[in-house]
Amino acid sequence: MTVAPDVAALVLTDVCVRFAGLKALDNVSFTVEPGSLHAVIGPNGAGKSTAFNVLCGIYTATSGSVRYGDHELTAMRPHKIARLGVARAFQNIALSKGQTVAENLMLGRHALTRAGFVSSGLRLRPATREGRRHGERVREIAAFVGLGDKFAQPAGLLSYGDQKRVEVARALACEPRLLLLDEPVAGMNSDEKVRMAGLITEVRRELGISILLVEHDMGLVMGISDRVTVLDFGKRIADGTPSEVQNDPEVVKAYLGTGEDEADA
Amino acid sequence: MTDFLSYLVNGISLGGIYALIALGFVVVFKATEVVNFAHGSLLVLGGYVIARLHTDVPFVVAVLAGCAVAAVGALVIERLYSWRLRDSNLNALAILTIGVDILLITELTRRFGPDILSTGDPWGNKIVDLGFAEIAQARLVGIGVTAVLLAAFFVAFKYSSWGIAMRAGAEDGEAAALMGIRRGRVTMTAWAVAGALAAVAAVFLCAFPTPGLDASVRLTALRAFPAAILGGLDSTAGAVVGGLAIGIAEAMTSGYSVKLAGGNLNDVVPYLVMLLVLLVRPSGLLGTKELTRV
Amino acid sequence: MSDTATRSPAQARAAPGRSPRRVRPATLARVALVIVLAVLPLYIDTSLLTIGLFTMAAVVAAIGLTVLVGTAGQLSLAHAFFLAVGGYGYAFLAGESGVAGASTAQGLGLDPLLAAILAVIAAGFAGLLFSPIASRLRGIYLGVASLSLVFIGEFCYENVRSVTGGFNGRAATPFSLFGWEFTDANTLIVAGVPFGRFEKLWELFLVVAVLSYVFAANVLRGRMGRAMRTVRDSEVAAAVMGVDVRRTKAGAFVLSSMYAGLGGVMVALAFGRLTPNYFSLALSIGFLAAIVVGGLGSIGGAAIGAFFVTAGPLLITRYSSSLPFISDSGSGGYDGGKAAALLYGLAVVLVVLFEPGGLAALGKRLAGRRPARALTPAPSTGASP
Repeated sequence: MTVAPDVAALVLTDVCVRFAGLKALDNVSFTVEPGSLHAVIGPNGAGKSTAFNVLCGIYTATSGSVRYGDHELTAMRPHKIARLGVARAFQNIALSKGQTVAENLMLGRHALTRAGFVSSGLRLRPATREGRRHGERVREIAAFVGLGDKFAQPAGLLSYGDQKRVEVARALACEPRLLLLDEPVAGMNSDEKVRMAGLITEVRRELGISILLVEHDMGLVMGISDRVTVLDFGKRIADGTPSEVQNDPEVVKAYLGTGEDEADA
Repeated sequence: MTDFLSYLVNGISLGGIYALIALGFVVVFKATEVVNFAHGSLLVLGGYVIARLHTDVPFVVAVLAGCAVAAVGALVIERLYSWRLRDSNLNALAILTIGVDILLITELTRRFGPDILSTGDPWGNKIVDLGFAEIAQARLVGIGVTAVLLAAFFVAFKYSSWGIAMRAGAEDGEAAALMGIRRGRVTMTAWAVAGALAAVAAVFLCAFPTPGLDASVRLTALRAFPAAILGGLDSTAGAVVGGLAIGIAEAMTSGYSVKLAGGNLNDVVPYLVMLLVLLVRPSGLLGTKELTRV
Repeated sequence: MSDTATRSPAQARAAPGRSPRRVRPATLARVALVIVLAVLPLYIDTSLLTIGLFTMAAVVAAIGLTVLVGTAGQLSLAHAFFLAVGGYGYAFLAGESGVAGASTAQGLGLDPLLAAILAVIAAGFAGLLFSPIASRLRGIYLGVASLSLVFIGEFCYENVRSVTGGFNGRAATPFSLFGWEFTDANTLIVAGVPFGRFEKLWELFLVVAVLSYVFAANVLRGRMGRAMRTVRDSEVAAAVMGVDVRRTKAGAFVLSSMYAGLGGVMVALAFGRLTPNYFSLALSIGFLAAIVVGGLGSIGGAAIGAFFVTAGPLLITRYSSSLPFISDSGSGGYDGGKAAALLYGLAVVLVVLFEPGGLAALGKRLAGRRPARALTPAPSTGASP
C-alpha cells in the first residue's frame, strides 16, 4: 500500500470546545499519520461529532490547535478547509434529495472546478469542457462505489444504504487527501455493513489517502483501523493500536456496563 | 425639553402598539416557526369587524368580536399549516401566509373601497395635558391597555400550562411531545392569541391622531416586522424592546421632522434601524444564535 | 415512489456534461412557442401587444426571482425595489435634463442601449450592496429584512426627484439600437402590417426574454446551479463540500437583482414612463406568487407564473364585459385586478398545500415523466431548461 504523495498529517493539540459552560471537548490531542486509517470511538456524547465539526470548521475551537500539514484549520471557514483536500461524509445524510446522484457527486467537484455564473450561462468553451471532463470522473467514482446504475436517479429515492454510499462517493468526488467518515455504517443492516467496510478498505488501498473514522461499531473499527483514539466525556482516555486500546483498563471501564451492544444503538 | 418628552411619550405609546403586533408575530414563530406575513391583514380584518359592528353594539363588544374574528382568521392559517405542512421548510410556510395575505387584503380592499372607517373608540380627538407633555387621550389609554395586555401575556407565558408547554415545545418539540404536551392545542392557542392581540392593536393604530382604518393600515402594521426582527424573532421580550425602539425612533424622527432629500424619514426609520441592527447582529438584539447540529 | 426504475431513457440526460444532442419534444414545443410569439404582432391589436410587453418584462424578472428563491432558497420580497433600480436607472441614464416637461427629473442623455446595460449593472450593484445582509441572514430573516428595501425604495422614488421625478414619476426615453428607434416615427411595414413602437418592442422583448431564459437554464444546469441548490438544501453540507456559502448566496442575489433590473428597464420601455406606485410591495408579492404557482426553481414555471400574474388582471379587465362576476374598476365589485389577485392568492395557497412543485411539477406529472409525488422543496429542474 502506497501513501499518495501530497497527504499530510493531521495533528490535534489540546483542542477544547465549550458550549455555555459545557465542555464538549477537553484538551483532546491525537495525530492522524499520512495514509493511515484512524478511528475515533467513544460512548454517545463523548465528543466525537464535535471533533469532526471542529475539523471541518463548522465549530470553532475555544482553544488548542488543529494542523493539517502547514495549515492551521481552527481559524478557517469550512469551504477553505475543503479546498485543502479535507472531505467529509455526514452521519445524518446531508444529500440534496431532489438532485440526482450525478449532481450530488458533481457538487463534490465544486472546489476543483471554476465555471461561474457567466461562463455557465453563456456555455463558454471552458465551462462545457470542464463539465464534461469532471462528469466522466464522477461517473468513475460512482462505479467505484457501486452506484453506476443509479447515477441519474434522484438521491432521495435511493435506499438508505445507497444514500450512505452516495455520501461517501460525494466526499470522494472532492479528491480528498483526508477523508472524514462520520459513522458510515450507522443504521445499516449487516450486509450493507460488510459492503461499506469493503469499500473503506478499498478506498484506502486504491487511493492511499488518510481516513479518519468516527464509528460506534466496534467490529468494524477494530477490524480495519491502524490506530484508535477513545474519547469519553470530551476527554481522550486512550490512544493506540486496536489491540492496545481493547485491553486498556480505562476503555474497559468507560464501556463497562454499557458494552458494545448499547454503544451500537 | 417638553418637545422631547412629548415625543417620547408618543413614541412609547406607538411602540406599545407595535409591541402588541410584534408579540403576535413572535409567539407564532416560537410555536410553529412560521413567519406570518398575513399578520398585517389579520389586523386589518379585526379592525374592519370592529368598525362595522360598533354602530350596532357597545364598543367593547365590537372589540371582542374583532378579536374573535382575527383569532379565527389566524386559526384558519394554523389549521392549514398543521394539516399539510408540518415538515415543510420555513419558506413554504411563509409563502402560505403570503397567499392568505393576498386573499385577505384583496377582499378587504374591495370592502373598504375609498372609505376610511372609524373603529368607534370612545376617546375621540381629546388631548390630555400631562404637564410635561401633551398626548392624545386614545394614545394614553393605549399605553395603559398595552401595558396590561403585555403584563397579562408574560404572566400567562410564565405560569400558565399553555405558556410552559409552549416554551417547552420551542426548546425541544420532540421531548415536549414525549412528555405528553399536545402541540396542536399549544400552537392553536398561540395563533389565536396573536390574532386577538392584532385586533386590539388595530383599535389604537387607527385611533386619533391617525385618520382611521383602511386597507393601507396593513402597511403601518408591517412596521412591527422590523420590531420583531430587531428584538429577535424568537424572543418575546425582544418584541417589546423592538417595538418600543421602533416606536420611539419613529416618533422622534417625525417630531423633529428629520428629513432626507426633502422627505420625512419617519415612515422608513423602522426599516433603516432594522437594517443597521441586522448588519451587526444577524439574529437580532435578543434572539438566539442558531447552533448548527450535524 | 419507486417507479423511477421505469423512467424513460430521456431521464438519463441528467448526467452532467453529457447531454446527448438529441432534440427533445419539450424543446421542440418551446421553439414552436417562440415562433408563434414572433409572428403574433401581425395579428393582435395594441392593447394585447401592451399586455404582452408587460408580461415579457415580468417573465424576465420572475426568472431572476425563481433562481433566488427557488434554487438558492433565499426568500426575498425586495424584487420590486430592484425592478425600480433598473427602470429608474434607465430613465435617468438615457433621459435628457429639463425636457421632461414640468417634472424636475434630470438625465445623463446616454445612448439607450448603454443606459439599459448600465441600469442592469446598477441593479446588480444594488443587490451586491444588500448582500452583506442577505448572505448572513437565515432564510426567513431575509424575507422580512428584504421588506425594508421596498419601503426605503418607495421613500426614494418620491423624494429623490432629480432621478425619479417624484410622486408623478418621469418619462422614459424610447429605446434605440445603433440609432434605429423603437418608436412609431419610423414605422416599417411587415407583411402588410405597420410595425410601430409596440410591434418593434414586442420583437425586442421576445429576444431578450428568450436569451434570459436560456442563460438562466444554463446557469442552473451548471456548477453554480448545483451549488445554489445544495446551499438551499443544507448550508453546512455545501460549505463542507467546498462551496463558499456566503459568496454563493451573494452571487444568487446579484444575479437575481440584475434580472429584476432588466425587467425594470423593459417595464420602463413598455410603459414609456415610471411612477412610484408601480414598484410597491404588491409587485414583489405578485412576483413571489408567480414563481410559487409556476413551481419554485423552475425557469419555465416562472415564465408561466409571470404570465398568469401579469397578463391575468389585464386580460380579465379587457374582457370584463363578457366575463361573469367581473365589474368595472372602482365600482366596489371584483374588477380585473382584484379578481386576478384573488385567483392567484388562491393558487398560491393551493400550490403550497397540494403541489409544492407548482405548475411545472403538475405539467410533468401529467406528461407522466415524474414520480407520483413531488420532492420537497421543489423538483430540481437544473437539468431541464
